[in-house]
Amino acid sequence: MAKKQLVFALLAAGALASFMLAGCGSGNETGGAEGSGEGGANQASAPVTINMTLPGTGLPTPDNDDIKKALDEKLGTDIQLTAIQSGDDYNNQLRVRMSAGNYPDLFTTSYTYLKEFAEKGLILDLTPYLEKELKPAKDFITNLSSEDIWKKVTVNGKIYAIPRVPDVPFSSFWIRQDWLDNLKLNPPTTLDELFEVAKAFTEQDPDGNKKNDTYGITGQKFDAFSPVFGAYGVGQPGTFYEKDGNVINAYYDPNMPEALAFIKKLIDAGVVDPELMTNKGTVDQQKAFQGKAGIIFKGWIEISKDEFVNQYKTINPKAEWVHIDAPKGPAGQFNGSFDFDMPSRYYAIPKAMEKDKAKLQKIFDLINYVSGEEGNDLVMYGIEGKHYNVVDGKVEPTELMAVEGNYFHLYQITGRPNKEYLEVKFPNQAEDIEFAIRIPRIKTLDSSIVPPTGFNKADADRYAEEELVKFVYGKRPLSEYGDFLKTLETTFKYNLYVDEAMKQIKEQGLANNG
Amino acid sequence: MLRTLGRQIWKYRAYYLMLLPGIIYYAVYKYLPIYGIVIAFKDYDMLAGIANSPWADPWYKHFQAFYESPYFSQLLVNTVLISLYKLVFGMFPPIALAVLLNECRVDWFKRWVQTLSYMPHFLSWVIIYGILIVLLSQDSGIVNQLIAEFGGNPIPFLTSTEWFRSVLVGSEIWQNLGWGAIIYLAAMAGIDPTLYEAARVDGASRLRMIWHITLPGIRNVIVLLLILRLGQMMDAGFDQIYILYNIHVYPVADILDTWVFRTGLEQWNFSLAAAVGLFKSVIGLLLVLGSNSLAKKWGEGIW
Amino acid sequence: MVRGLEDKIFNAVSYTILALVGLVTVVPLLYVLSVSLTPYAEVLKNGGYVLFPKEITFNAYEKLLSNSAIPRAFQITIFVTVVGTAINLTLTALLAYPLSRKGMPGRRLFLFMVVFTLLFNGGIIPTYLIVKATGLIDTVWALIVPNAIWSFNVLVMKGFFENLPEEIFESARIDGAHEWRILLRIAVPLSIPSIMTIGLFYAVGHWNSFFAAIMYITDRSLFPLQVVVREILMMTQQPLENAEDMVPTVTMQMSAVIFASLPIIAVYPFLQKHFTKGMIIGSIKG
Repeated sequence: MAKKQLVFALLAAGALASFMLAGCGSGNETGGAEGSGEGGANQASAPVTINMTLPGTGLPTPDNDDIKKALDEKLGTDIQLTAIQSGDDYNNQLRVRMSAGNYPDLFTTSYTYLKEFAEKGLILDLTPYLEKELKPAKDFITNLSSEDIWKKVTVNGKIYAIPRVPDVPFSSFWIRQDWLDNLKLNPPTTLDELFEVAKAFTEQDPDGNKKNDTYGITGQKFDAFSPVFGAYGVGQPGTFYEKDGNVINAYYDPNMPEALAFIKKLIDAGVVDPELMTNKGTVDQQKAFQGKAGIIFKGWIEISKDEFVNQYKTINPKAEWVHIDAPKGPAGQFNGSFDFDMPSRYYAIPKAMEKDKAKLQKIFDLINYVSGEEGNDLVMYGIEGKHYNVVDGKVEPTELMAVEGNYFHLYQITGRPNKEYLEVKFPNQAEDIEFAIRIPRIKTLDSSIVPPTGFNKADADRYAEEELVKFVYGKRPLSEYGDFLKTLETTFKYNLYVDEAMKQIKEQGLANNG
Repeated sequence: MLRTLGRQIWKYRAYYLMLLPGIIYYAVYKYLPIYGIVIAFKDYDMLAGIANSPWADPWYKHFQAFYESPYFSQLLVNTVLISLYKLVFGMFPPIALAVLLNECRVDWFKRWVQTLSYMPHFLSWVIIYGILIVLLSQDSGIVNQLIAEFGGNPIPFLTSTEWFRSVLVGSEIWQNLGWGAIIYLAAMAGIDPTLYEAARVDGASRLRMIWHITLPGIRNVIVLLLILRLGQMMDAGFDQIYILYNIHVYPVADILDTWVFRTGLEQWNFSLAAAVGLFKSVIGLLLVLGSNSLAKKWGEGIW
Repeated sequence: MVRGLEDKIFNAVSYTILALVGLVTVVPLLYVLSVSLTPYAEVLKNGGYVLFPKEITFNAYEKLLSNSAIPRAFQITIFVTVVGTAINLTLTALLAYPLSRKGMPGRRLFLFMVVFTLLFNGGIIPTYLIVKATGLIDTVWALIVPNAIWSFNVLVMKGFFENLPEEIFESARIDGAHEWRILLRIAVPLSIPSIMTIGLFYAVGHWNSFFAAIMYITDRSLFPLQVVVREILMMTQQPLENAEDMVPTVTMQMSAVIFASLPIIAVYPFLQKHFTKGMIIGSIKG
């Protein structure tokens, strides 16, 4: 009995397996047929396969990928893009592939890895190509950013990556306008007013539900207080920036204890979401949308995109989130800190590609093409007539763009004119986009600092963050701030890191007085 | 001597033939790569490869880097404690569940409980974290709303050092209760039913039968799982802790694996990861060797 | 009489505990299922969770399935699970059976070698190199072959084989049965519950695995279901980086969880009846 069943089970498994195998096989065959079809259209030579990889999400299957098809047809390539969602998974795979000599043809990486790959001679020095083969891409990037961006992809005097045009900042304080209206308050313009509004939001039942169930401020860790730090002229904890002509680290900013004292005042008054330090991912955004807090520091991409407006309007049709200027403080008005010169991606090409001149040329063609007018339009807006139409010289997105257009940016190797692009893609948010770009921020310099050996940045970061939390929650008196710095230096060797960072910033020529 | 061995081997030749595919698999996919352990003693260089990377100087350099972390002892204590709690509190419930299911005579009820209790195994920690927030969040969690209703003070389950390990252990037990019971149920299915019949004729009670027939019948599986679990003593559950922990509970929740991960985010260092891995493995090996020889005195043991 | 009473108490206690276990697991699962079936607007109005949906919609599932990667990924996962498990079981039984029979020279050494790999491994680089050297990179076989045998399952199966009464084997040998015949005709049929269990372990392992795919596969058309599902789940775990990225709604996340686990969960109830086949042994002995 049992034996028969087992035999049957095995037979069934075998049959299913062979069926599935056949399925897979035929899938490959159709893939092949498609390829040869395209080859037929482009008789001159067989398409050159380009393996490209980056962390990303939302990529459709190749047969649904209009951008791939258009690029392939134009350039005579077969672009195989792999996008792995999580950056950690991506780095894992990339490191192992590089170790095993199984290189992708074009890939993104971080500056730390770029430096390591460059020093090990694993990636191609692009310096000799920039003035000739890659000239169009170089000009495109420089025009949309600044000459400084090339310093950010330089290792030991040579340029090892194509920097993608830096992102523009998105974030600011957002506030519930309808709550302000209910309580007859004005949007806060100073730190003191911020405190008062947050207190009113906590204590005066701004949603009028007769329950004591609201807080003033929510957000994620110290990020939530970026404009508060900014009001004291302090960058985000751990960042490096210029102040009074010197490069300093935020922990050593003389105003840091004061900024912490103000945050402590907010927390002591009970106007801050008690779980602020533990909110991850979209938790704080959802809390804000659920009407649990009235002030949040976030990018417009997480508050005012159509999908999110729909979300909070569904929960409460009266809800209205508006962005506000950073509060004024002793040192002025800054919406936190931002590294304006940081490439939004670093694209590298393996050194081994040097030997395959034809393929290398194709990669250059691709990079140049997406930097040219026609190609850049393609990777920004998709197919004309399908994803957008040009009306009076202006790009008008179709409905399909909103549905299918979310992965196009994975092909924007060199970037895009951000403001123009974002305002086309998100026409309803144009004002927010412009606002976030315009408001002042402290310019940080640390995106290409590689921690020195013998210094464990993860340990130091953990210690610093834990102690900062203790300071603002009143578990350690702020009078001990000096002791905190001392421990950071002695036990965690933070001075090694600061010295190294100063040296690197100077070498990279990033500071104005450097 | 040699001839008897030869004769023995010939006698069991069919067995060796059966072992052959397994041996090939282990040789190729498990033992060939094992030389990678030397990375722990080298400064791994991606271009040079494992064999040609220079030796670390001193040889214990990467172990030292890890030992010298100001958090070393905290990491070690957290790893061992969390693991131990999970072992102590997590070992018994699946066995108990299996026994109860095995005793259950109402077929539909048994099948439902069995299937339901096994389902949490398929929820990833991201989802369980979402559920935990809905249940345990300080001001909006269902549990805390209930506590408030009865006039108590809300408990910060997810953010207090007193409660966090209990949450870790509890959620792990919940996730693995039914899944862990499966193996015992299968073992119980192999127990000779005539033993129960004989005991019933002798007038033995259900509890006596459980104690004298069911439990001894699965003893070897229990011992096996216990020994293997001891071998994983230094793995306190990276996925779970990484998703669940936060800045407030680092002092009680940061473990070796989360530390290696965070350190690697800044500067990925294969040699450091290998050194910590080797450290964990050696401790696991000692525990397995110790517990196995102990188990052999009972007549069980893996080998 | 006393026994009757004791039995009654035992039953009362044990059914209560089982019911509690069922309840404690069913509530969170109900939450996942309910959210996936409730209109998104309702979920939002309810503060992000729903236990009993007032209105049912399959919108989230439709949206999930409109993801062009899913049908292909589903195929890959089924293929890997079915073929992988068949290979796993064959190889594991061949390894576990001889190791469960005492007397063979080298047995303890082999067992130790199996246990050793549970504790020590060479790390991802050398493993990757071997997978590459054996030509598996970017093929479905990279999801199957490197995990063809799990040491844990070998040890469990060996434990189950050991539990079989020695007399059966002895009498078969006296009847002149060959070892292969004993394995196929006696050991395997008598161990159906344990083989089913281990098959379940393997199948679930294949079904849930994504790491091998992330390490060894770059061809998008070979990604299994869990890679796609993970993408959907992990997106809400980190801050949004690109303005273009769409955050999956909680209803979509839950529908992805249900969609990706229901097929494999459904296997279990069919296996359960095999767990009560303890009588086979009795009948053979008798």
